[in-house]
Amino acid sequence: MSKRVLRRIILGVLTVFGVYALTFLLVVSVPGNPFQQGERNMPREAAEALRARYNMDNNWAYFGQFLRGALRWDFGPTFTYADWTCNQIIAESLPVSMILGFLAMVLAVMIGIPVGVGSAVRRDGWFDVGTLGFVLLGISLPTFVTGSALLTLLSVTWKLAPVGGWGTLAHLPLPALTLSLPFMATIARLTRVAMLDALSSDFLRTATAKGASPRVVIWRHAFRVAFLPVLSYLGPATAQAMTGSFVVEKVFGVPGMGQHFVNAALNRDAGLILSTVLVFSTLLVAFNVLIDVLYAWLDPRITEAV
Amino acid sequence: MFRNVLLACLALLGGVVALYAAAEREPRAAFTYVNPSDIHTLDPARMSWTQDFRIALNLWEGLTTSDPRTTEPVAGAARLPPRVSDDGLTYVFTIRPDARWSNGDAVVAADFLRGWRRALEPGTATDYTFLLTDHIAGAAGYVAWRREAVARLTALKRRSEGGTVDTRQMPALEQVAALGPGMAASGAAEHDRKSGSAAADGMSFHVRSARKHAAEMDERFSHIGARAIDDRTLEVRLIHPCAYFLDLAAFPCFLPCHESIELLRERYAGLPITAEGLVAYDPQWTKPRYHRNGYPGLITNGPFRLEDWRIKRRARLVVNPFYYDAASIRCRTIDMLVYDNLTAAIMAYEAGAVDFLPAMDVPYDHEIARLAQSGERPDFHLCQTFATYFLNFNCVSDSVNGRSNPLRDARVRRALSLALDKHALVERVLNRGDRVARSFVPPGAIPEYHPPAGLPMDVAEARRLLADAGLDPAAGPAIELLHVATDELICQAVARMWEENLGLRVELRSKESKTFGEDKAEHRYMIARGNWYGDYMDPTTFLDCLATGNGNNDSGYSNPHYDALLRDAAAMRDPAVRLGLLRAAEAILVEEDFPILPILHYATPIAIKPQVQGLYPNPRLRFPFRDLVVQR
Repeated sequence: MSKRVLRRIILGVLTVFGVYALTFLLVVSVPGNPFQQGERNMPREAAEALRARYNMDNNWAYFGQFLRGALRWDFGPTFTYADWTCNQIIAESLPVSMILGFLAMVLAVMIGIPVGVGSAVRRDGWFDVGTLGFVLLGISLPTFVTGSALLTLLSVTWKLAPVGGWGTLAHLPLPALTLSLPFMATIARLTRVAMLDALSSDFLRTATAKGASPRVVIWRHAFRVAFLPVLSYLGPATAQAMTGSFVVEKVFGVPGMGQHFVNAALNRDAGLILSTVLVFSTLLVAFNVLIDVLYAWLDPRITEAV
Repeated sequence: MFRNVLLACLALLGGVVALYAAAEREPRAAFTYVNPSDIHTLDPARMSWTQDFRIALNLWEGLTTSDPRTTEPVAGAARLPPRVSDDGLTYVFTIRPDARWSNGDAVVAADFLRGWRRALEPGTATDYTFLLTDHIAGAAGYVAWRREAVARLTALKRRSEGGTVDTRQMPALEQVAALGPGMAASGAAEHDRKSGSAAADGMSFHVRSARKHAAEMDERFSHIGARAIDDRTLEVRLIHPCAYFLDLAAFPCFLPCHESIELLRERYAGLPITAEGLVAYDPQWTKPRYHRNGYPGLITNGPFRLEDWRIKRRARLVVNPFYYDAASIRCRTIDMLVYDNLTAAIMAYEAGAVDFLPAMDVPYDHEIARLAQSGERPDFHLCQTFATYFLNFNCVSDSVNGRSNPLRDARVRRALSLALDKHALVERVLNRGDRVARSFVPPGAIPEYHPPAGLPMDVAEARRLLADAGLDPAAGPAIELLHVATDELICQAVARMWEENLGLRVELRSKESKTFGEDKAEHRYMIARGNWYGDYMDPTTFLDCLATGNGNNDSGYSNPHYDALLRDAAAMRDPAVRLGLLRAAEAILVEEDFPILPILHYATPIAIKPQVQGLYPNPRLRFPFRDLVVQR
């Protein structure tokens, strides 16, 4: 078991390195001067001095320099916000995204799973059909629509929550709910399918025949099996939710990390692109490894495959 | 088991919420405004955005400062008027005896020289170096000498590291060969790799060169036309008389800098420069609570000091208690919030969480303009800005993307200008209160300058000119119009007008802004949108862009007659004659050669809550906060 975990970890490190190398290749091959601000052209000499200072005129040197720094958790300077380091930007924004992402995932699990189980148990009943509509909306409506709708309705019309921003408890529920909707819908759907599968299996018929109560059958026996596909989805989904969403952050003015993924690329801010990608891919890989371990623990049958 | 997991989740959730709720909350500032993105930099030598200027000009104060109502220069850290020599070339400023930094230190002449030098030195200099090199005697020579040294030291550093040398750096290396004993440029790197001791030689030679250069720097700098006669007297010698020098003196790159920054200077081998010969500081120096190496945190000399700055959240300014006029500042705390999404900012303004919006660039800006103009919303104002939106015509390239470039012919450029219905564009297509532009320099902002009238629309003449130029609109190649996503509407309308009026085929190409900027600067376009915000109140802030070889001459335009007029104007002492020469120069642009096609002067909508006094709509979008009064 520990050997297998070790193998997964090594593979994970290699994956992160691969992602870094690929991102680096993209970063250096995209045109555009990261130091240019606004409409005014930067004098050539000034741009060259900055490139020399940040080792950007030598791709190999920059590649190694950034990687060496990253291993020491030092991601170096950003070019767009010259007064800040990548570390500072991540330190300011990652906790925000993690709080929001965590809340969103808790909401998604706590609502998504009961909905999924309920709709599987009463298949084709009114609950199943009703939640299907909600699930479809959750999956297909982009967050900028749901977010704006929630904002307009709850904040502007009913004045129940502040209009965007960050810093008080009242700022949390709307963006967390918006962020959780697509995850919630997916979890509900996955749970439903897996539950249907489990409920029709032989061992459950046996359990029912032996007189187990429906509650025990559903939650102790069926759900335990049905939870596995949901769990494997939760790994990458949590990593994604916790590293921020550009759209949710933009709609609600949340100072999270999602915006930096997009803005850094638009600004050709090599340091910030590489560091946000590294943080995201590390989290993603870590959550996947964690889920794999949990998987083996929950279901000894598949230990071999891990 | 699931119950346990659920309970754990709930406990964690509760913990997060409790922690979050327990976090310290500060009371709201007396005045809150919104920036559409965070400050790009607070380093006055490096900043280039209007929103960065705005906050810098409230934190620091130059020799002069802007009047909040008119934005005209008024006395800042120095007394006005300065003593000006008869030839108009030498200014002697006397610094107020009560001018103080936010730690109580006196503001001295050397602080200004330090700030100005940072705006010049390779390493800290960026976009606005030209404001100093174009005006202060000897500054351009100093910068050229420094740049040459930087190229040389950078190449030497590479070589001492045993790396290969880029061919672009060869000229610099050849200079090294002339200096150094037996250091032939070609094969030098090869030689280094063969013998280890040679690399060490290269290393010590690099250090020796850097030492020699650093020793000379201060001496050379002391010969430029800016010097401290004593702590309170600053003498500036200009290259030519400059009618707007007092206005320039309020600009960010002319702000002073406190001596504590030297604690954060990067050093190489004990020298005040980096291995590349650059002047560099720890970029954290703009933080209020940064204390590496005994640094006291950011010290400024303006009406406010920086209390707190958290990226993408807010910056808080509080009154600088040592400011000479601190007692008369009524608004003691100011918050700058960051809202990437201006619609959210407008909602926050409507909800009362924000007092001032200095920009409202939203997709429904025409509606905002209507509310402001009709008086339905007396708190919405339109600033008729000192800025121009225009099209660049590529005047240099023979071909663009494999097609011949018809815009090299001035007749074609003239025809396109004549065939555009700017009134329809501004009033019917955009309808957001902008002014139609007939000239490059926005009229009205500089009272004594009356820009040329430009040419009225004349489609028949335009067709004739095209025929004259031998351009058959139907058979000729399509003309490319390069723009960014935000220009979609206006560029579609322009293309449509040319197609209808001239029968031309126009291809629109939208590019992402960074790539667009590069294509434009390197003349890889036929027609490209442009906009320009004037930096100081003189026509040259616009007209210099089109001088031959100017770094912002994106159309590649060159006309010796135009250049000569600008030169003559620069040397001219009599203000009226000088403005006459500039007007003649501008007439060449908008009535003869058409390297650019001015379309409109922006009207920028702003919102000021009725309880706020002391903020005035102005063409430069400068908003000094020192006269603010907020009644709650």
